[in-house]
Amino acid sequence: MSIPVYILKRVLQAIPLLLIISIMSFTMLKMAPIDPLAHLKANPAISQQAIESERRRLGLDKPPVVQYFIWLRNLLCGDLGVSVSGGSVFILLMQRAGNTLLLNVLASTFTWLFAIPAGIYAAVYRSTWIDKGFGLVSAVGMSMPTFLLALLLLMVALATGWFPIGGMTSPNYFDLGPFQQLIDVGHHLIIPVAVLTFIGLAGIQRQMRGNLLDVLRADYVRTARAKGLPENAVLYRHALRNAINPLITMFGFEFSALLSGAALTEMVLAYPGLGRLTLEAVLTQDLNLVMASLMLGAVMLIGGNLLADVMLKFADPRIALE
Amino acid sequence: MKLRVAALALILILCAGCAKRTVHAVVQPNTGSGLPPAATIPQGESGLSPAATVHGGEIKTPNFPNPGPFKTVESRNPDGTSVEALQARGEVGKFGGTFKVSTFGSGFKTFNVWDAGDVESDGIGILQFEALVSPDPWTGESYPRLAKSFTISPDKKTYTFVLRKGLKWSDGKPLNADDVVFTFNTLVKEGYGQNAISQRDTMSVYNEFPKIEKIDDLTIRCTTKVPFGPFLNAMNYPIAPKHIVEPITKQPHEKFSAFWDINTDPKTFVGSGPFILERHVPGQRVELKRNPFYFMVDKQGRHLPYLEKFVDAIVPDQNTQILKFYGRELDMLDIRSVRGIDVALMKQKQAHDDFDMWNLGPDDGTVFLTFNLCRRKDMKAKPPKPYVDPIKSAWFNNVNFRQAINHAVDRDRIIGNALKGVGEPLFGSESPASIFYDRDLKPFKADLAYSRELLKKGGFVYQGDRLYDAQNHPVEFSLITNAGNAIRDSVCVSIQDQLKKLGIKANYQPVDWNILLDKTSNSLDWEAVVMALSGDKLEPYQGANVWKSSGRLHLFDQRLPDSHGNVVVTDARDWETQIDHLFDEFATTIGIEKRRPIVDEYQKVVYDQVPFIYLYSPLDITAVRRNVGNYEPTPLGVTYTPKGSLHNIEEIYFKDQKQP
Repeated sequence: MSIPVYILKRVLQAIPLLLIISIMSFTMLKMAPIDPLAHLKANPAISQQAIESERRRLGLDKPPVVQYFIWLRNLLCGDLGVSVSGGSVFILLMQRAGNTLLLNVLASTFTWLFAIPAGIYAAVYRSTWIDKGFGLVSAVGMSMPTFLLALLLLMVALATGWFPIGGMTSPNYFDLGPFQQLIDVGHHLIIPVAVLTFIGLAGIQRQMRGNLLDVLRADYVRTARAKGLPENAVLYRHALRNAINPLITMFGFEFSALLSGAALTEMVLAYPGLGRLTLEAVLTQDLNLVMASLMLGAVMLIGGNLLADVMLKFADPRIALE
Repeated sequence: MKLRVAALALILILCAGCAKRTVHAVVQPNTGSGLPPAATIPQGESGLSPAATVHGGEIKTPNFPNPGPFKTVESRNPDGTSVEALQARGEVGKFGGTFKVSTFGSGFKTFNVWDAGDVESDGIGILQFEALVSPDPWTGESYPRLAKSFTISPDKKTYTFVLRKGLKWSDGKPLNADDVVFTFNTLVKEGYGQNAISQRDTMSVYNEFPKIEKIDDLTIRCTTKVPFGPFLNAMNYPIAPKHIVEPITKQPHEKFSAFWDINTDPKTFVGSGPFILERHVPGQRVELKRNPFYFMVDKQGRHLPYLEKFVDAIVPDQNTQILKFYGRELDMLDIRSVRGIDVALMKQKQAHDDFDMWNLGPDDGTVFLTFNLCRRKDMKAKPPKPYVDPIKSAWFNNVNFRQAINHAVDRDRIIGNALKGVGEPLFGSESPASIFYDRDLKPFKADLAYSRELLKKGGFVYQGDRLYDAQNHPVEFSLITNAGNAIRDSVCVSIQDQLKKLGIKANYQPVDWNILLDKTSNSLDWEAVVMALSGDKLEPYQGANVWKSSGRLHLFDQRLPDSHGNVVVTDARDWETQIDHLFDEFATTIGIEKRRPIVDEYQKVVYDQVPFIYLYSPLDITAVRRNVGNYEPTPLGVTYTPKGSLHNIEEIYFKDQKQP
């Protein structure tokens, strides 16, 4: 099957999947014991009429099934609806998506830039103290909760004054020149990128090391060495290419997390990202906003998997697309 | 230590979303602390009032002398026109600088103050829009703001407001009687936006909206059907710029909430307050800039505000706020950012840092324990079944039982343990912060012996350690509060503990906030609950929704609306009817001193009948850098954040500001 046909087929398959995801998400949101009007009801200064008018405005006076179809119809017309606060969900998402993307792309880049060489190095120099050192660091990275690391780094920032305490830009950001603005954002990004890189590092480094070790034990590697190929050629031309496949699959998942993977870090570090927006929306049952975020996550996941599969095909011609 | 902070942070993260909207006006599901139940921590000296432990430290208590009435002076607007300006009362300051505060939670919901349903949006609105009159931060009496003066007719039904001459909106357009009449007769009366709808309710007396008419460009006359006590306080409402807002009201009502929403272009923003929206950076901050047409001047006749910019950072929780303050990214921490658990640490920090902490006294909120007094049956169930088990209902409706528990709860211990001393014990329905607080109602210490006496008087008997009613049922009930709030958790554990000493078994269970609200307002399937309600320091009538027997939040005996949405009360107790009458009476009485005896009487009825067993009011603590000038907080000058305790925000300046 040629690649374009394969992609088309996968996209068509994704449509019923997305529909099912949307029904499940909607049902779960509706079943959650959260009342979007709770804060109004509990306020003695808010009148019953105000609550009723708000209920009508949010469409909560209709049965859930009707609400779902209204949501679906709007979605098909390209309208993500309005959030509880009245702002357009599309604009809200767009405002935050860029920030999260910036953070996650940087974090992923650093993660892969460190993890792959570290994994290779650890595999080649297995059981040396460097390998053990990497092992220790990645064990810490895997076991440490994200929020804890973020909070510890905030404490460091406070104690040293080297980094800003959370956020993404300084209050005077808009009075700065373009270059200073870049520096300012970069300065704010150090802690969140460090947190995400450190946490992400562990998994990929261990995967890389494990895969490479498996391959290095394979017969064809022994053959390559036996026929006198230089060690670099053995390693990079033969072994690495075979060891990289699982990492491509991992990359697909990583891609899907680009827009949603940093919620906790964003929360602790007051970073204005999509994850924080979604978390806050869930807690207030901002239905349209949560649904849009969930669907975005689902699309990214499906897209990421597809991307990984196609890349696998390029990396390894033996794989057949079916 | 770090681990503890981390654990706190986790809890906060998990509840940040709901913590936020509860901050002020609301039944507070989350005062936002993450302290583990600490029922066993011993409290210091028993005779020491918990508030005194705070006063005793380095925390300052504001005690600024009343600067006297405002003066009106002639001044010139930036465009050269003359204006009858309001003269500020503080010291002369320096111009310039950016003042940085922060708000915790998910940020502002809207910039349309007439549609604001959450306190933050309301708070940012009152920074940008002035009212005709506002309460004086020192006395609580209304004084003219946009109005130059106002008069009340001898029959107390007609109010005449005269506006200042030469007032301008921030875009330079004149502000006159048309704007006022438009705000009340169109936005409020026709109910544009949820805030305006509630305001219509507040202003209406016997369901009739007052007549508001323009006499000339500067004069507005308001007539109420009967004399209406809350009217002047209700006129502290943001006036809208007619030339901007009127076109929106020509469209369907639904469009109104999209007007000036959070995605709005700040360039379209026009206001009358000291600061006007300049930029909203989503999830990060709101930047406001000085309004050059603001109608207040300093003692040298220069137009205020002193500050060039006012920046409000949006952060997820109080921990981040405090870190940012320590890191000098903020100039102050306003009310509700400094919790009891933070105070001790912050006091240590204060010793070698350059900020002051202030104790503004109790908040207007009240935290209480209440029983479900409902005696009715659920007619929708087949066969109809009582909402509350009749056996338990009989206990709850026994005033001796309620009084016994009122005398059994140990408020001092609750404040010492759960609030770390940052609270004031509460014995009546109005917070000690209220100007109507009845000082004759005597506080008392926990007294289990007296409680046992009361229980015996109420027909209860002891068998061994356990308490039984006259029909030999062991006294046992469920006690709920909202989950995820460690302070409330600690309060409940303490109550449970005291009740155990009385031989009463309280089965404590935290439930989700929304479930709790559904139980108390819909299913009525609850027995005892610990909750909080906001109050009003100036206007007890704001509590009508709680106290009227047909009220929407008449928690202790909630009457549900029928299929037409009407609430019919058929089984009001004598004292409920009495409170109804007292509320009607002080609604139609004008003047603080004339109303006081009526409010006192209602407080006495509540004190004797104890439908709510009041526990405490939290204290408002703020922290401000010492280079901030003119910071003169008063207990009454506290509004919604970000304005918060900055009642004289136009006069705030930096002492070390370099002059250009």
